[in-house]
Amino acid sequence: MNHKRFAGRIAAFALGLGVALTPIAHAASVTLLNVSYDPTRELYEDYNKEFAKFWKAKTGDTVQIRQSHGGSGKQARTVIDGLPADVVTLALAGDIDALVTNGKLLPVNWQSRLPHNSSPYTSTIVFLVRKGNPKGIKDWGDLIKPGVSVITPNPKTSGGARWNYLAGWAWALKQPGGSEASAKEYTRKLFKNVPVLDTGARGATTTFVQRGIGDVLLAWENEAFLSIKELGPDKVEIVMPSLSILAEPPVAVVDKVALRRGTREVATEYLKHLYSPEAQEIIARNYYRPIDAQVAAKYASQFPKLDLVTIEDFGGWAKTQKEHFADGGVFDQIYAPQ
Amino acid sequence: MSSVERQQARAGAGSKILAASVVALLGLTATGAHADELSDLRQRLDAQERQIQELQQRLGQREAAGSTASSAQLESQQQQIKVLERKLELNDEAAKAAAASNPVVKAGPKGFSLQSPDGANVVKLRGTLHYDGRYFLDDNAPDSADTWLLRRVRPTLEGTLNDIFDFRFTPDFAGGKTIILDAYGAIRFRPWAQLTAGKFKVPVGLERLVSGNDMKFIERGLPTVLLPNRDLGVALGGDIAGGAVNYSVGVYNGVSDGSSSDSQGDVELDSDRDWAARVFFQPFLNSDNFALRGLGFGVAATYVNGTGSVQRPGLPSYRTPDQQSFFRFRGDNAATADLNEATYLDGERLRVTPQAYYYVGSFGALAEYARVSQDLSRQTASGLHHGNVDVSAWQLALSYFLTGEDASFKGFKPNSTFSIGRPGWGAFEIVARYNQLKLDDSLFEGGSLSFVDPLTQPRKVTEYAVGLNWYFNESFKWQINYENAKFDGGGSALGRDRGDGEAILTRLAVGF
Repeated sequence: MNHKRFAGRIAAFALGLGVALTPIAHAASVTLLNVSYDPTRELYEDYNKEFAKFWKAKTGDTVQIRQSHGGSGKQARTVIDGLPADVVTLALAGDIDALVTNGKLLPVNWQSRLPHNSSPYTSTIVFLVRKGNPKGIKDWGDLIKPGVSVITPNPKTSGGARWNYLAGWAWALKQPGGSEASAKEYTRKLFKNVPVLDTGARGATTTFVQRGIGDVLLAWENEAFLSIKELGPDKVEIVMPSLSILAEPPVAVVDKVALRRGTREVATEYLKHLYSPEAQEIIARNYYRPIDAQVAAKYASQFPKLDLVTIEDFGGWAKTQKEHFADGGVFDQIYAPQ
Repeated sequence: MSSVERQQARAGAGSKILAASVVALLGLTATGAHADELSDLRQRLDAQERQIQELQQRLGQREAAGSTASSAQLESQQQQIKVLERKLELNDEAAKAAAASNPVVKAGPKGFSLQSPDGANVVKLRGTLHYDGRYFLDDNAPDSADTWLLRRVRPTLEGTLNDIFDFRFTPDFAGGKTIILDAYGAIRFRPWAQLTAGKFKVPVGLERLVSGNDMKFIERGLPTVLLPNRDLGVALGGDIAGGAVNYSVGVYNGVSDGSSSDSQGDVELDSDRDWAARVFFQPFLNSDNFALRGLGFGVAATYVNGTGSVQRPGLPSYRTPDQQSFFRFRGDNAATADLNEATYLDGERLRVTPQAYYYVGSFGALAEYARVSQDLSRQTASGLHHGNVDVSAWQLALSYFLTGEDASFKGFKPNSTFSIGRPGWGAFEIVARYNQLKLDDSLFEGGSLSFVDPLTQPRKVTEYAVGLNWYFNESFKWQINYENAKFDGGGSALGRDRGDGEAILTRLAVGF
């Protein structure tokens, strides 16, 4: 037998096999994982459909987005521990900062890569009470009255709970004679009236709405609207406090994961598209406050104007996290499990 | 009746008694009483009536207050119960979440493993222990000593990291020495593209690819002695069409026929790399055709164009399945001190092996043909002798489960296991094999220049074996084989045959 001919046949076999497999290797298949916080399920279910349509029209590729939801802080920890999130859409910037400091998963300047501090929508904190407001809850001061049961999730695991906590703190500071000490005392009394701490905002809503526990739920505005939509206005009603906080849930590409998976381009476009008018409409329809001026004007009647403090009034998330929510921080000092 | 109702009833009764007393008193006074006294009594009556009304009002208020208090208390208790229930619910969820993040420990017939909750990281501890007995029935000289031996002592640490990175490390402590049997890493890019690097079985021989734990016979057949065992190299392979087609293409250091690289110090055998390729088809693997689902066939080959030397001839000796050496090429001739006359590989070597198996129900068949075509040289005082020679072998091996288990290429599950005091004897399997190895006549030609000594080396060996396998369970089995080998030539004189080889082999095998 001619050995060289045989070697040539082996090479031809390998080449033929390679050619046969090549189309399989280049088959387009784009999948993203969006790790988000608790109450955004419905928002991203709607938005993912819109983006898949947009991406198909733009590139011809099919994109499938998987969602993961939970308490914002808990979700951040899961990503740090290895959950391969292409993008994160969390409740507060502090949780994405944790991905930078603890996981080196994205650059320090992540928040400046997209408009509006990478927050394509905002929200705030409101009260959800039983129909007829039997406990007469009108403002933050009513929450610390004896016999009032307040439902809020755990600030250690929930971004929404941190916004709740800070809104109450800000109100206490603004009261006559308000000080750090009085705000701390107010917050201590507030959490004394909290019978159960859920890990996330959706869990707290379940506690209040489904399980019938508590007199008032400190809720994301969108979550409160959603509860009314689902339960009907004859079961619960919204109370707007005199003061609340501007919640800016940010979004970011997790560069380390997206680069490894080759999804950085589509992941970036996924977040950029949140700022488009089409996406802003979806955002407003899901009761988040849009940042697009035209869409915001269209839905202005849906979102009452409130006196809002911002995280900057607390010195930013890094400072706030360290002072209030880190181990040994103010929350650990004032909260005693019941 | 509640306490409030009882108090109301008592108050009502008191009022009636008081009224009756007053009426009686008025009756007495009407007959001769003073008007002032009557007026006084009337005033007292009015006062009593007012007191009664006040008492009734108070009782009504107390009743209302008592009811409200009870309702509030009830509501408070209900909230407390709900809170407790919710806390239990949350604790349950937290426990489930914690359990989901705990590593999974498994222990079973296939070994022990530690696995991350998502299954992406797994470490397994497995092992193989083969304790053999060899009993020779022939009277060939020199006598082969009956013996017990540890044929395989192989702990294996293998696993997967990050879902696609596999590794395996297997030393072998049998035979009073330690070798690294397997040590490789693999990346599974796709089911059809897996890259393996390190020391591993060269995917060529069909019977060689049967795991040591799943061998039907105690030793492999004659085609396997012509094909490579374990070697160091890099291979790309995988499954196509859901496993209906399996392929492998690789490059290796190269080993002599039937050998592992550890026999040559785990380094390059000759002057060039060996190429190996295999394609295997199971066209009915995913079909509904039960009768043909277990059919597989394919072909494999290795090729090298290398130059050996008298110091590293790159040529093997061959053994019968009962592990008796029956053939070797000429080595150095001590009579020619200045010249090493050993036969050595000098040029191309091509191994080709078409192969097939078929499993249906309890029946299994494995057929394999192997042919080695190689260029040899031998330097003698009369000059250089160079030539191309062939060695070929084939086998047909049959197996059948007497206890009804389904046969397959990769292990099986016994219908029952053997245990004391309970029903079940495990699985029984009978096996039979016929195999033959034939050496090219040209090997023996040339008189003193020949590559092989025609007086002492046979030209052909035909061997058959029958046996019984008793599987106590998936991990424990006992085997017994009867082996019989007949030789053409090699009887120390031209025209005489070497005496038949006859042996009984037994094995106690532990594999998990």
